[in-house]
Formats: sequence, structure tokens, C-alpha cells
Amino acid sequence: MMELPSTITARDGVAMDTNARGRFGDLVFGMIARLAGWFILLVMAGIVIVLVSGGWRAFSAFGPGFITSTAWNPISNHFGAATSIFGTLVTTLIALVFAVPFAFGVAFWLVEMAPPALARFIETAVQLLAAVPSIIFGMWGFFIVVPFMAHYIEPVVTHYLGHVPGIGLLFRGAPYGTGLLSGGLILAIMITPFICSVMTDVFVSIPAVLKESAFGLGATRWEVMRQVVLPWSRQAVMGGIMLGTGRALGETMAVTFVIGNSNRMGWSLFAPGNTIASLIALEFPESSAGSLKLSALLALGAILMIISFITLACSRIFLQRGTSN
Amino acid sequence: MNKIIMDDTTGRDTILPALAIRNLNFWYGSNHALKEISLDFPVHQVTGMIGPSGCGKSTLLRILNRMYDLYPGQRATGEVLFDGRNILSPGLDVNVLRSRIGMVFQKPTPFPMSIYDNIAFGVRLHERLSRADMDQRVEGVLRRVALWNEVKDRLNASAAALSGGQQQRLCIARTIATRPEVILLDEPTSALDPISTARIEELLDELKQEFSIAIVTHNLQQAARCADRVAFFYMGELVEVDTADKMFTAPHAKRTQDYITGRFG
Repeated sequence: MMELPSTITARDGVAMDTNARGRFGDLVFGMIARLAGWFILLVMAGIVIVLVSGGWRAFSAFGPGFITSTAWNPISNHFGAATSIFGTLVTTLIALVFAVPFAFGVAFWLVEMAPPALARFIETAVQLLAAVPSIIFGMWGFFIVVPFMAHYIEPVVTHYLGHVPGIGLLFRGAPYGTGLLSGGLILAIMITPFICSVMTDVFVSIPAVLKESAFGLGATRWEVMRQVVLPWSRQAVMGGIMLGTGRALGETMAVTFVIGNSNRMGWSLFAPGNTIASLIALEFPESSAGSLKLSALLALGAILMIISFITLACSRIFLQRGTSN
Repeated sequence: MNKIIMDDTTGRDTILPALAIRNLNFWYGSNHALKEISLDFPVHQVTGMIGPSGCGKSTLLRILNRMYDLYPGQRATGEVLFDGRNILSPGLDVNVLRSRIGMVFQKPTPFPMSIYDNIAFGVRLHERLSRADMDQRVEGVLRRVALWNEVKDRLNASAAALSGGQQQRLCIARTIATRPEVILLDEPTSALDPISTARIEELLDELKQEFSIAIVTHNLQQAARCADRVAFFYMGELVEVDTADKMFTAPHAKRTQDYITGRFG
């Protein structure tokens, strides 16, 4: 057998028991990490249990009719979710209609056209916009957007579009300023940064040589964007839109300030309405413990949670598929 | 487009080159990347460009279709004459230019669409063809690059499913589909296996009947096999340009000799 150099000796005989050096630290750290991980699940379970058990009375009192009923009458104890679900979906839809093209325009400009120094500045501004607390948007919306809508936008739109058959229905009614459209617009401004930063990230991550190939065939910037960049990043862009949708669905304070808070359901986008979140925010302090109304609000919360969960799940799936190719 | 003119000095008929570079200088910001380059790309010939990494050969290629325009801080002076015009002049429509001077890149870059649409994409940008004409164009170019038999049953399948070599031939087909006069190839086989490489090289030999070709390559054997004329670049300068035979057997410059014998690079 070959002799090893004298300075190195074999460490034979070192015990390999579980109580080896450093084992205790590992154990403690592992426990803490494991607890933190499980705690998240615990919190999630807690929320679901509270919402479902709390809302159970309303669900069982009204049955499936809870979802389709437009009633919200604390005196006669009749409650339904239809109006606020409607308001939630409509404001979110309005928000997407404005935010998606807006965010796309900003992202396209930032990635393809803006001088680099300016682009960095604007990108920071976009991120700051995402960090503005929603209560600020609410106040700003109440003092700026609502009067602006009431004095300028709504009368003009009603004048020109109110009589058009079909879509005219959407633009009729008194110009209060508060209403579904204002709520949707505030939401649009709030979700634009989210959608925009996802779009910017994916547009930047496209291999330069792929874009150059399209430019090399004589395509313009717009043609490259529409026919190469967008198809390539479609999944991730959808994920970004879903992310914004999730936020719009659950947004509370800003919407409560500008939506008018009336339990009505109609065609006009100018009419006041409510959303699940705004209804809960307003009515929760006025519901006594154990009342059917409180149960109805918790049931609304459960519905909102389900809608948001589905949206976010979609967003995750899209983002994952979008970034893996 | 071959214009026959009388050469004053010799009295012989000569053919105008497809592209003629005169006193070209290029800067990446303050980095002087190409210095006083003058070089002709003869019609219906393959001009190979060789040299160590960073010598400016790829940069030169990207000037010829104004690809550098996409990036701020890059600028060129001098002249590149194509069809009687200086393509560096600001008034030129780069989209039309790029349809007449096509480019194939180092890595295959199929667009995220079907095989058919990959080819139709470039054509649609510049021409309005009927469905039948487009079908014909697509089939024609796929036959030119010897890809037709391999893909004719799955034209609507995603181009991403093709092998690397097939993708690169698709990219060449896509480039010739817009009927350019010049094709620029930037190390088109560096990401391919030897068999795919051989097929591309055969293809070049055939394509030069119809197109004028400029190819940048790291592979000296490839330059020797494919190119009619070879230009050697070193540190932003054009050291020497000659026929491939002379270049690889009896180069004039010491630096050329050192490079092709493998002493550096």
C-alpha cells in the first residue's frame, strides 16, 4: 500500500452519529424555516375558514339565489351579491380596456423608442406609481377625477354617444361624476404600472437577434412588435394582464371614493354602483355581530376571494409558460 | 441589375460590383471599430470575410443593411454604393433597403409562427400576393433551400419544431423570399453540426447563381471552400483582399499569413 505524505493523516474513526458538530444549529434553523412555510398555509386556511363559516348563514338562507339576487336591504334582511359582483366585474373590465393599451404604449415606447436615459427615468416613475397607496388614489380621484368627469367628460360623451343605438345605453344618465366609469378609470391608472412593468420585462428579454431578423427583412418597428415580439411574449403579457386584473378585482379604497356606492345595476356606466370590496368596506362597520348582514358580507368576501384566486392562478400559469419558452 | 460599363483604364467590359464600400469608418460610441475600409462585393460571387474576433467583420456586415441604425451611439462615415446610391445617406428607406439586402444570422432565428408564415412574413411586408402566388413563392424558396420535401406536409406546424440545420435553411429561404439582390450571412453555420454545415455550403454555391453573397466566417476552411474572394480583417482594418486561391496559398501580408497558418486568432 502506498504511503501518504506525512503531513496528511487519515481521519478514520470520526463518529458519524447524529450529534455531530453544527447539527444543533441546523436543527433550529430548519425548524424555523419549516414553521414559517407552514404558517403561510395556516393563514390561508384561517382566512378561508372564517369566510366560508361566517358566510355560511347567508349562503344557506338565500341558496344559489344569493349570487343572482340584486337585493341589499338591511331592514327586511334581504341580501344578494349580484349588484356588487356586477360592479366588480364591470369596473375591472373598464380598467382593463384602458390600462392594457396604455400600458402597452408605455412599454413599447420605453423598450423600442425612448432614449435610454429617459427610459430609465420613466421606468422608475412607473414603479413609483405602483407604490402610491390606494387611499391617495381615492382622494385624488374624488377631488380631481370625479369633478372632471362630471363637468367635462360625461356631458360631452352623453351628448355625442348617448343617442347612438346600442352603445348609447352605456352613456346615459345624470353626470354625477361618481360611478362605474370613474371607478374603472381610477383602477386603470392603478393597475397600469403592474401590467406595464411585466410587458417591459418581457419585451426587453426577447433575443435581440430575433428582432434583428425581422428588421433584416425590412419590417418596421410596429411590424416587428406586432408580428414577432407580441406572439413571442403572448403568454407572459397575458400573465401581466391577469396580475393587473387580480389587483383591480380586490381594490377597495380608491374605488369606494369614486364609485358612488349605490346598490344599483343598470346599463349606464355613469350611474353610481358598488363593488364587492367597496360594499364590504362601507357596510362592515354597521353590521352587528351575528347578524345575517355580517354573514352576507363574509359570503361576499368568499366570492371575491374565489374570483381573485382563479385570476391569480391563471396569471401564474400564463407567466410560467411565458417565461419558460 | 448588372450594369455593363466600359472600364476607362483597360478598355474591357467590367461589371459594376453589387456593393462597393468606399472609405468607410465606423464608431461604437468613441470606439473606432472600422478604419477606412474600401471593398467591392462582385455580382454573383461569394465574398468571404475572415479575421480574429473583434476585427470588425461582423460590424461591416451590419453596416451593409443599416442594422446599426437600431442602436444609438453607432455611426458610420464614408460611402456604401448599392444600385447607384449611397446607402448610408439619411434619406434612404431602410425597410426597402433591407428587403433588397437580406441577412442570415449566426443562430437560426425562426419567428414564433408556422413554417409557412415564417416565409410569408417578409414577403407580406413588401408585396401583396394572392394566396396562390404566395403558396408558389413559399414552395419555390423551400425547394431552393432543399427543405420542401422535409416540411411540405407540415407547413402549418411551428417552425420551432425543426432541427437547427433545418431552421437555418428556413431562415435562408425566408431571406431569399423577398427577392433580395445581396445576401449577408453572419457565421451562418457556427451553431450547426458538420452535416448541416455542408448542406448550407452547397446551398451557397447554388445561390450565387442568382444572388451576390457576403459571408462572415470564423472557419477558414469554409472560406476556402465557399468564397470566390476573401477579405482579411484585423483590428478594424482591411489587411488584404484577393481570390480565395491566392489568399490561402500566397497571401501578401505577413499578418494574413500568420492568421491563416494559425499563429494567432
